[in-house]
Amino acid sequence: MSKVDAFPGGKFDQLFVNLGPQHPSTHGVLRVGLTLEGEVITKAEPDIGYLHRGTSKLAEARGYHQCVALTDRWDYVSAMPNNLALCLAAEKLLGVEIPPRAQHLRVVMCELNRIASHLLFLGTYGIDLGAFTPFLHAFREREMILDLYEMLCGARLTYNYIRIGGVMADISPEWASKTGEFLGFFKPRMKEYDDLLSFNPIFLARTQGVGLISKEAAVDWGLSGPNLRGSGVDYDVRKSDPYSGYDRFDFSVPLGKAGSCWDRYYCRALEMRQSVRIVEAALAGLPEGDIVAKGVAKTVKPPPGEAYAHVEASRGDLGIYLVSDGGPSPYRLHVRAPSFVNLAILQEMLVGCKVADVVAILGSIDIVLGETDR
Amino acid sequence: MTGYFHRIARDSWAVCKGMWVTLRTLVKPSITVQYPTEKLTPEPMFRGVLLYDVERCTACGLCAKACPSNCISLQNQVNEAGKRAPKAAWYAIDLGRCSWCRLCEESCPFKPKVVWHSIDYELVFWSRDEMVRCWKPGTPLAGWVHDPKKDAFRDPSGQVVIQEVPARHDEKGPKHD
Amino acid sequence: MSELYPKPVFSKKAGRLLKTRLWPTERWASPWSQPQYRRSAGMLAGIIFGILLVGVVVGELSKWGDLLYRLLLTGTAWLHQTLPAYGAPAGFLGDAADITWISFKVIVIVAVINLNGLWAVWWERKLSAHMQSRLGPMYAGGFHGWAQTALDAVKLLLKEDARPADADGAVHRLAPVVVIVPAVLAFAPVLFGKELAAAKLDVGALYVLAVSGVSVIGIVMAGWASNNKFSLLGGLRSAAQVVSYEIPRIFAVVPVLMFVGSLDLAVIDQAQQGYWWGFFPRWFVFWFPAGPLAFLLFLIASLAETNRVPFDIPEAESELVAGFMTEYSGMKWALFFLAEYAYVLLACFMLSVFFLGGGAAPLPFLAIVPSWIWMLAKALAMMFLFMWLRWTLPRFRVDQLMDFNWKFLLPWSFACVGLAGIMLLWI
Repeated sequence: MSKVDAFPGGKFDQLFVNLGPQHPSTHGVLRVGLTLEGEVITKAEPDIGYLHRGTSKLAEARGYHQCVALTDRWDYVSAMPNNLALCLAAEKLLGVEIPPRAQHLRVVMCELNRIASHLLFLGTYGIDLGAFTPFLHAFREREMILDLYEMLCGARLTYNYIRIGGVMADISPEWASKTGEFLGFFKPRMKEYDDLLSFNPIFLARTQGVGLISKEAAVDWGLSGPNLRGSGVDYDVRKSDPYSGYDRFDFSVPLGKAGSCWDRYYCRALEMRQSVRIVEAALAGLPEGDIVAKGVAKTVKPPPGEAYAHVEASRGDLGIYLVSDGGPSPYRLHVRAPSFVNLAILQEMLVGCKVADVVAILGSIDIVLGETDR
Repeated sequence: MTGYFHRIARDSWAVCKGMWVTLRTLVKPSITVQYPTEKLTPEPMFRGVLLYDVERCTACGLCAKACPSNCISLQNQVNEAGKRAPKAAWYAIDLGRCSWCRLCEESCPFKPKVVWHSIDYELVFWSRDEMVRCWKPGTPLAGWVHDPKKDAFRDPSGQVVIQEVPARHDEKGPKHD
Repeated sequence: MSELYPKPVFSKKAGRLLKTRLWPTERWASPWSQPQYRRSAGMLAGIIFGILLVGVVVGELSKWGDLLYRLLLTGTAWLHQTLPAYGAPAGFLGDAADITWISFKVIVIVAVINLNGLWAVWWERKLSAHMQSRLGPMYAGGFHGWAQTALDAVKLLLKEDARPADADGAVHRLAPVVVIVPAVLAFAPVLFGKELAAAKLDVGALYVLAVSGVSVIGIVMAGWASNNKFSLLGGLRSAAQVVSYEIPRIFAVVPVLMFVGSLDLAVIDQAQQGYWWGFFPRWFVFWFPAGPLAFLLFLIASLAETNRVPFDIPEAESELVAGFMTEYSGMKWALFFLAEYAYVLLACFMLSVFFLGGGAAPLPFLAIVPSWIWMLAKALAMMFLFMWLRWTLPRFRVDQLMDFNWKFLLPWSFACVGLAGIMLLWI
């Protein structure tokens, strides 16, 4: 971020601009109050809460199985990791062993969802910077993933697929072949995105060297996911705290160098390639067996205690803290939502930037307001 | 100096590559569907509007228990002796609260299911009252809605474009031809 | 109603509903076997042919223009002799023929601009849609949504003319007029074919470039008068941008003027007739090295002048909502839009006159095709290029836009003039 000394010596009228909640590029209902001196930002205040539904409190009146349906509504762009995080925490409380086939299926679905989520990011980021075509190109491929989900579990956005003890439905051979067809179609498309957007000189000029986050700042502000890795910090829950059998798959964690908007963007583009690798490996080595663990009742009452589980969701480290008092519903459900934590750095990053960079920086953090506000 | 010209050449080439991608897409067939003159058929698993078969239901109440949004309510019949009869007196689903999670369908002990998701994805209401679907013995699968103006129950077909698709009862395919 | 909404098909044999969804993998496998694709290809060929046919008709009609003018002259001369006998003041009808004739030409030009607005918006919608694997408007008019823009224009006419309460009323109302009037005026000397122009100006090139620069005042007025922060930023950005890009744009034309030695567009057009070695057109774009360089510079500067991506900073909707157009609705907004597309058309005609040989045929034996067809074809090709760039590239940031102009385009346009001077030593 270029810290421009705005008009040194001169005193200028400050201009207050409301960016959102109704603005074409705030990705939902985020309001950022910007104080401008000319085109330079002197103060930025993100204002959240327009989408607050109080899911933590709602969960306290629902059974554990029913809570899974609530998780779909946090990060509605990639709901599978949300389901998984809650199920992992509940399974920790219950002490259930998940059959290997179910674990593989969970990995496949989460990685497909990561591709879908990053495709949405890629497209909307292009729109933020004025390129419309990549958006619909990305959505063309995203639709195929959603079709796969519809075929598998009947929903296109709020899946409720991963359940406590396993998954909802088994995949059919038709589904597996369709997925192979999609992956075959998708691989050459990633090259097209690079041609169209990633290495476009104007795009590079807009994003490289803009919105820099140093390694230290990224760690200090508690960033996670591609935002953290874009700054070059090698932290991925899939590697550092493997869950659901991720340690059995061979994949690498792409890291950015400078921590600029482009690094965060390209981290996601590279992560899609790794997700394709994981999906292919997981489908090739899919073990036979049950998809639901035995001994999980329709109404579960875990023994009193607490559990924390975290997964690498599409936007970062999604943590679930569950406290059980032995009753049929959680005593306390706390969500460490990556979007919420990632958004906090915005108020520091934006100061000193040009107003035209706000959109580039805000887009590169890739927040979902459903998760931020919960 | 060579670096300057190299940069110009590289950037121009990158722009040309991007334009080549759009040109290639231009001559390819489009992939969109012209809704509403073309309608997609959802997959058989699709979770659409809930249907309910009042004739076969035993009013066990498992679906109402499983629902995370408390949108199902029901009352079982009472026989001459004043005891619970395995029949529903009435059954209501508030589609305004339904989150299409499939938990009610999964909790139903019958096969084929008594309450299940159809593949009807078109659901339009004029008011919140119309979101509640009610069933009584003799009501069709789609149920009735309450019309507050006339204070009477009526067929929901006026409010919703119900696709005339066979209802799915279980994963093996539709029961009715 | 039921015909409009086809029902999903249930296959008894398969025991399930038939799938209507096709993935790109299936759609792209054999495009020519799909009737939809064949229809689209036919539509494209038909539209291009139809446009050129309209060009033929207009061009042929223009031959009758001289006859019409002579008729007018005779008529007014007759009136001039006859009317004073009835008591009319002498000299009253002195310029009547010219006034009638000029108003006729103005009407033709305005019709061209309006038709261009209708056509270009529809064409841009369709092109952008197909570049994004969509179809674009498909309903209005029945055939590939051809009537969509016309109906949009009707909608805009009927729309409420909303004005912010704190807006500067007079300036707010005046701004669209200040934008559209120069757009119409600038078309006066534009060549639509060999020597087919509304006005024959000796300084046509200078006139076009000068008059089209006036519109920026309207944009600044719109930005100021709307009393909206986003509008204000958009208007100011636009002023800075258009004023800056005027310079390389004019300097890019200088090599052409040096080659020709005249500012008259008809002379510039005439200078590009003929062929090297009997087949290679002597268009200025092929006058290596200054010609192609000037062409590229003029193209880029024209993109910026017409506020199109990658230079659409004034109306960057992801940053400034709609820039200076935010607080406009209805026909006022439509005038801005019309002016934008009029300038695109103007830039396309300028590109073809200055660099692409104007009405000259690309090969000698094609010279039997009338010149206005070549002119129109070249202008449409340039318009396609404008839209192609628009739907491929992202947008510059406002300071990068200025950097690009002052640090890249301007030095190169100077270099281009120098190169042209060196070239003239040998020619």
